[in-house]
Amino acid sequence: MKRTVASGIGLVLGVLVALGLLAVAGHTAPQPYPYGTPIGPKMARDTGAGEMLVLVLGGVYSTRAEAEAANSQMSFGDVAGYYVVPVGQFQGFREEIGSPGDFALVSAFRTDQGAQEFAVFAQSIGYPATILSSRVRSLGGQYAGLGQEADPSGLGPLTGPTRASLP
Amino acid sequence: MGSRPGSSRRSRTTIVVVTAVVLAVAPLLVGWHWAKLGWRDKHYNYPPKPTGYAQIVSVFGQPCSADAHAVSMGWPAADNGATYTFGFHKKLGGYPTEMVSNKGGKSTNLDNDVYGHIQNDHLIGYTKSGIWGYACRYIKGGTSWSTHAFGIAVDISASYEPMGNCYSTVNKNFAFEFKNHGWRWGLDFCDPMHFQYAFGY
Repeated sequence: MKRTVASGIGLVLGVLVALGLLAVAGHTAPQPYPYGTPIGPKMARDTGAGEMLVLVLGGVYSTRAEAEAANSQMSFGDVAGYYVVPVGQFQGFREEIGSPGDFALVSAFRTDQGAQEFAVFAQSIGYPATILSSRVRSLGGQYAGLGQEADPSGLGPLTGPTRASLP
Repeated sequence: MGSRPGSSRRSRTTIVVVTAVVLAVAPLLVGWHWAKLGWRDKHYNYPPKPTGYAQIVSVFGQPCSADAHAVSMGWPAADNGATYTFGFHKKLGGYPTEMVSNKGGKSTNLDNDVYGHIQNDHLIGYTKSGIWGYACRYIKGGTSWSTHAFGIAVDISASYEPMGNCYSTVNKNFAFEFKNHGWRWGLDFCDPMHFQYAFGY
């Protein structure tokens, strides 16, 4: 009789412990993004100052706040999309777009191929992407996404000026 | 009202015969179904699963390389009817099979095995709009390379599974197919649209 009671108590305790462990595991929520600094190297924020760059344009807005709000609505998942920059930080930019605003969503490239690939990518998600017909001169300033394109050699990313980007 | 011995024996015989027929016919039906769709699970030449940046580079090479988007495939979205074409690394697919033409790839992982399973398990209806793979881009908000830049990540159902959600609405129905073939699901870090063939990054 004692053995039966002891077995019953043991069984109940075992079930309670198991339920407790399940409850603890069930409350272990995943970490929200960003979930930690990636282990990989951080690339330099290349502005390409002085270089002639190709811009992919996602929109032009009157104020930075409007541009930031529009950019926050364009999700590219975990990858970088457009960058908010003042129109004035690229010589020749305003001549290309007219005067609809002072801030733009852009991504800058050294090669036509890089700009084309990004434009196709953005359009495939359903976002506007216009490649400016003429290159514009970078005056430095804020980071506009330069460096995110393939080297024509096919060996990796393009990390420096090309003949076409040098004035 | 007892049952007659002959009737009981006939019932047992019927059960045995029906079971035998089902066991014999079921594999044939499955085989016919797969053959009709021209698909076989291959598991051919999967690359080792890298952990961390150094191993990713060791296995797949530099980001934005030609190999990172050497193979492409089309993936239909069930909600808008569009077929999204995206590139990915040549080590993750492009090997010729009954379903995939020879694209110069090295394995059957993504386009034959993962996609084939999803299609043949009738789960393709859960893959919704917003599908992309290779992109020579940094991780949002920083300057570290995304796994998309290596061609080892795919985003699926982006319009239904926004980054930041720590739950899944549609991708949960087929995520196990990716996991069963070596992929990590981004739900682990609240990015349910994201699948990547890498860990620790």
